[in-house]
Amino acid sequence: MGRRRRRRRVDPADAARALPEAIAALSQTLPAGPSPETFRRAKFDRPEAAPALWRLLFRVLSPQLADGASASFSPEAQVRSVKLALRTQGYPRRALAQLPDDGSQGGRELLLALAWLLARGPLPERLLTQNRVQLGDEMPVCECEALASPGPPAPSVEADGCVDIRHLQWLMGKLRFRWRNLMASQQEQCALLGKIHSYTRGCHSDRSLGHLSVTETELLRDPEGGRQLLRRLERENARLQAALEWRRRELVFWRWMVGGRGPQWSAARTALREAVGQDLAALRQACERGGGCSLAQPHGPHRLVRTEAGAPGGPGLRAPEVIEALRSQEARLEVVLRQLQGQCRQELARLVGAPPGPVWILPPGR
Amino acid sequence: MDTAFTLLAGSSRRLVAELRDALDSCAERQRQLERSLRVSRRLLRAWEPAETLAPEPTPGPETNEEAPSAACIPSPQDLKELELLTQALEKAVRVRKGISKAGEGNKAPSLKSGSIATSPATRASYPPSTSHRAGSRASETKPPRGILQTRVPTKDLPERRLLSVGDQACMGQGAGATKPKSGLRNEQIVLSAASQAPEAFTLKDKGILLQLPEAFRKAASRNSRLWAQLSSTQTSDSVDAATTAKTQFLQKMQTTSGWPGPRLSATEVEAEVRHLQKACLLLRLRMGEELTADPKDWMQEYRCLLTLEELQAIVGQCLHRLRELCTVVEQQLGPWPEGRFPRASLPCGGGADPIWSPQLLLYSSTQELQTLAALRLRVAMLHQQIHLEKVLMAELLPLVSKQEPLGPPWLALCRAVHSLLCEGGQRFLTILREDKPAD
Repeated sequence: MGRRRRRRRVDPADAARALPEAIAALSQTLPAGPSPETFRRAKFDRPEAAPALWRLLFRVLSPQLADGASASFSPEAQVRSVKLALRTQGYPRRALAQLPDDGSQGGRELLLALAWLLARGPLPERLLTQNRVQLGDEMPVCECEALASPGPPAPSVEADGCVDIRHLQWLMGKLRFRWRNLMASQQEQCALLGKIHSYTRGCHSDRSLGHLSVTETELLRDPEGGRQLLRRLERENARLQAALEWRRRELVFWRWMVGGRGPQWSAARTALREAVGQDLAALRQACERGGGCSLAQPHGPHRLVRTEAGAPGGPGLRAPEVIEALRSQEARLEVVLRQLQGQCRQELARLVGAPPGPVWILPPGR
Repeated sequence: MDTAFTLLAGSSRRLVAELRDALDSCAERQRQLERSLRVSRRLLRAWEPAETLAPEPTPGPETNEEAPSAACIPSPQDLKELELLTQALEKAVRVRKGISKAGEGNKAPSLKSGSIATSPATRASYPPSTSHRAGSRASETKPPRGILQTRVPTKDLPERRLLSVGDQACMGQGAGATKPKSGLRNEQIVLSAASQAPEAFTLKDKGILLQLPEAFRKAASRNSRLWAQLSSTQTSDSVDAATTAKTQFLQKMQTTSGWPGPRLSATEVEAEVRHLQKACLLLRLRMGEELTADPKDWMQEYRCLLTLEELQAIVGQCLHRLRELCTVVEQQLGPWPEGRFPRASLPCGGGADPIWSPQLLLYSSTQELQTLAALRLRVAMLHQQIHLEKVLMAELLPLVSKQEPLGPPWLALCRAVHSLLCEGGQRFLTILREDKPAD
């Protein structure tokens, strides 16, 4: 602790270097990062800096695109996409929307936008996580992504007229069929994984893993692919390293962006904390009363490791535990579905009316 | 009769869109699965040789002792030496086999039939410049199987395998590592050139001999270390200072925005709605539990009542929030941005932005893995079904209630709606109607 405090009294030469170094780290960890000089030019709103920053923001806001894919978007398309994405995320300044679509201006505003994105969350880490190199065979232990999105789905092209309800029945049947296929394919994949894992046990240099994954075995089968994988891995390592550097040095960047403390900052900070606290309180309440918040469960993709039966194994989640958790989740969801269906049955019965209306004979198998 | 089955345009659009959405997400999962299956199936078949001899990059700093480039072409003398070596190996194997059969039983269940020493079509897989195509090409020979059998225990394996020397993509296979490295290398190069009929490599038989290249191992462990570091740098003095500066910056941005007061973004609205959906699910479950509980005495019954009242209050709060969000969307956000915006980040479990860190999931049998995967799919499917059920309810129930006459078309509609809403579209009920008796 003492050492850190002493370090704060830096000499001017170090201070002068600190900012470019911080920006260099930032630039290296982001995809398509421009040079520190471009950043400096952007702060002074020099026009030559604008195109590079538009490109950077495009890459940052569309991480799902593969590395080379952004080239297929025209500069205008990139500009429009960036504007839309920022507006969606709630970028507070109007000035951005007013920048010309040809991407020739706006360095300073774009720099502000980038800083805004960086200030709101761990952007470099998030980008790295989304596009990371997967070396193991991974399986998520939660189904968070499975929750249907509440947003309006993209309108389908042909649903202009009215639709026959029998078409809906047909679509439901199709859906059921797809799920069955999915289940079968998934089972096969698990069987294959099991074999690959047991055939390669003892081969991994990392003892806690023990056996090879599909990716690792594949790189041995196909050396060219292996070389590409290695290159990707090394690039990722460089970006990870740069992200750590950025974390160490970013304070000087923020001081540069803010340019001096204003009197309201502490008030703003407390206000923000309070607002966040309030938001979470309501949710926490709902979760707690509901009896079991999903926060307690493990999340995210885990690398599959096959252990020998009876072997204690190292650190990591155990499959039986996850199975247990999933079973109870399944049971709970089934209850909810039955509830909903029961509700419908009651409602329909009510609508059809009491006897002497028609008699409803329910299908067998109840 | 037909008109009864058609739905209103607005409902149609929404329902079809939702179902298509569900179908598409299924299809996407299937595609990803198919991709993985292709790779896995290929790995379990015999490994094919690559089409051409890829020109190899120069070996790394740790080069082998022999000049790599000249090592490909065997001389007649080398061939002769090779033959002698092969015979010696065969003999050794026979001797060992005799010993091992007597004493050891089956120590290496993984080394089943077939010769281990043959490398697959490794000509192309291995760079001609580096050399440890371990005694491989002599396909006819009885491999030093006995030797390997006794050394299968994991801790010994690293020594048994010839390490790849500096080259990134080279595959290492173990073989008689009792010989000094350099000497054997020479012969191995020769062996590979001389081999007539290479036996194919299968993971089943020889997978246990594989070893990852050095460069890869280093990069992978560095990768793991960096990720662990990244996800742990959360608390420190400088981090706090940076957080303060960031908050200050955000506040400054807000005040120079030109809009009064903080506004909710579309992303935030989406996130809140997701939270509310989750809360709704939890509330519904809890309510179900309370309603099906069997109170033993009046005290329990009273407690039940209080819980239900409490749940009702929370539901009220959620509804209120939902209405607020609707207002925000209508008034502040204007027309919803077209199309689906990519989910920037879906915080798993509702916590803060998760940074990935290496985590393991241990399983002990294929069946266990299959059960786990099946359950995961089942849970995902149930989530989807519940969502669709709610959408169908919202669109179809009003349709049934609006139509008054109890004629056959309406009954047909009811039957269809019942099937969709109550049986997941799988089963149909029968409606008996009493005809008016002819007078």
